[in-house]
Amino acid sequence: MSGADNRLLIDVGSTYFKLCTPDSIEQHFRDFNRDILEDLRNKCGDTLERFGKDEVYICSSANGGLSTLIIGVTQSFSLKYATNIAFNAGINIIDTILFQNIEEYSIPSDLIDVVIIVGGVDSHSGLFSPALYDYVGQLRYSNAVFVGSAQDAQQVSRNIDHLVVLPNVIDDRLHIVEEHLKDYLTNLYQQDIEGKEDIKNLYQITSNQIFSTPYIVNRALPHIESRVSVANPFILLDIGGATTDIHYSKDLVDENIVTENEYDRLVFKRLGVYKSRQSLVLAAQANEFVYELLMHLGATENIYNEDSDKATRILMQLAIFLVLYKMSPYGEAYISLKLLAINSIVLTGGITKVLTVEEIQTIIAFFYRKILSSDHNPVAVLDSNYDIWTLGTKV
Amino acid sequence: MKVVTGVVGNDIHVVANRLIDLSLRARGYEVYNLGVNTHLEEFFDAVVETGAEVLMISSLNGEAEGWGREVRLLKSRYKTLDDVVLMIGGNLVVGSGDPEEIVARYKNYGFDLVCHQVDLNTGLDMLQELVDQRFPA
Ligand code: B12
Repeated sequence: MSGADNRLLIDVGSTYFKLCTPDSIEQHFRDFNRDILEDLRNKCGDTLERFGKDEVYICSSANGGLSTLIIGVTQSFSLKYATNIAFNAGINIIDTILFQNIEEYSIPSDLIDVVIIVGGVDSHSGLFSPALYDYVGQLRYSNAVFVGSAQDAQQVSRNIDHLVVLPNVIDDRLHIVEEHLKDYLTNLYQQDIEGKEDIKNLYQITSNQIFSTPYIVNRALPHIESRVSVANPFILLDIGGATTDIHYSKDLVDENIVTENEYDRLVFKRLGVYKSRQSLVLAAQANEFVYELLMHLGATENIYNEDSDKATRILMQLAIFLVLYKMSPYGEAYISLKLLAINSIVLTGGITKVLTVEEIQTIIAFFYRKILSSDHNPVAVLDSNYDIWTLGTKV
Repeated sequence: MKVVTGVVGNDIHVVANRLIDLSLRARGYEVYNLGVNTHLEEFFDAVVETGAEVLMISSLNGEAEGWGREVRLLKSRYKTLDDVVLMIGGNLVVGSGDPEEIVARYKNYGFDLVCHQVDLNTGLDMLQELVDQRFPA
């Protein structure tokens, strides 16, 4: 970092927050009985005092971001495109609904931040029926947006209150059009972050805009080589307390999605080592290879119930394995990556403070051998000084 | 009239696909071309998204048989595809075979029109005839 660059970077996560100054990095578990600002002042008051409001940059992934439910007419186009855009805007997907079977889906009980309705090219019409209005009528949601056939927009608007209509995400060659929905979702996320009382208070210590963390990370990726030595193509795993984010370059997917972005993002919602520990354990128990992996690591299933440093390390190792598995052709993610083409696996976030390169490399080797029957062995790169995040706040 | 077309499976023979695209347009169809390497599900999904009346699949490299067998099952999972004209053409078997037997087999798979090594223009005339019958003006 250059000397003139006197900045304090703060990342507020669901489990801990981290502070990065030109010469130090600190990380603290959050105290959920306190407001974030109070917690920060309490734990790092001295650091905060050294910086002026204009020198403090904050991003947040607390509360896991916004949630969406997507209703579309096909898996290969409308649902896939909207899913891709939502992930890239930093939104978490609760579920996707194939409209023709909408009557078979249950109604999620959670409050949904935004419902996305999509389907059809502009020259087609009549894609939706009253079954849509019945279903949406039973949802609890804050926003609804329509990004399907322009011909259907009016009809759908008449039946769904406060529906925002944006240009179609599918063009007349069946290609994806991202910008309108992406901007809308990014702004919603931004407003949500700023609207949270906790976050609002943070403006007492910064005069800069507070961004969402995935946005910052994605922004850094095209420049990653200036900070971390990675061999392309790479994937970046951010295994957090509540969710796991994966950022991957487009050349790792064989897809009909052609966009200008070089990198896409995918989120596994309930895969984390603290807040989502329980669902991580469930996912591990449901995976037929984990038993063998545990043996390989010299552990048994008892580790799930232990509360020790060793248990945290093993859970983090399992998280890496499970993520790779989900991205493989055997997983249930909406895309599968060409894992044999990957040369580096970059890890960022809290995990880099806990695991060593060797502990990560052994999981990667196990995965490739066992699941893909290959000796391919991408190099694990640890972003242990939050270089990527630092870079993202600066680009 | 809208047509979804493309080459099924992991088939990269692109020349016929380009010709099909051009010829269909010249005959006044609105064409949604999914290109080479297209999976069966993407074809059906494209028909749903576009409201196409015709699905025209090409296969050149010998993979057709495997995909053909899946058509009925896959189509049965869709609720809005009953009236779509299903057509397939190109090299529908590996090597050579009895054309009549091949046509019968693919019709059994659920195709309305089967053009094994049939010249494109002949195939498009067959399509026109069927379309005129099925969707009278
Ligand atoms: C050029 C070519 C290639 C090129 C393709 C380049 C490219 N990107 O297009 C390359 C070298 C890459 C290639 C690779 C392979 N090829 Co090749 N290839 C050919 C070749 C010589 C010409 C194809 C061509 O472009 N013809 C010109 C177009 C205009 O004609 P057409 O494709 O026949 O289409 C006409 C009709 O069939 C019809 N038509 C096509 N689709 C439809 C659909 C409908 C609805 C209708 C009505 C009509 C219709 O319209 C067209 C005009 O009349 C043919 C042999 C031949 N002479 O046909 C083999 C041929 C198609 N290839 C063949 C094979 C086996 C392969 C490979 C598997 C070889 C290998 N072992 O690697 C790979 C497969 C790669 C893959 N993943 O698909 C075989 C297929 C055998 C079979 N089906 O039984 C052929 C027939 C050669 C042979 N006699 O063995 N190939």
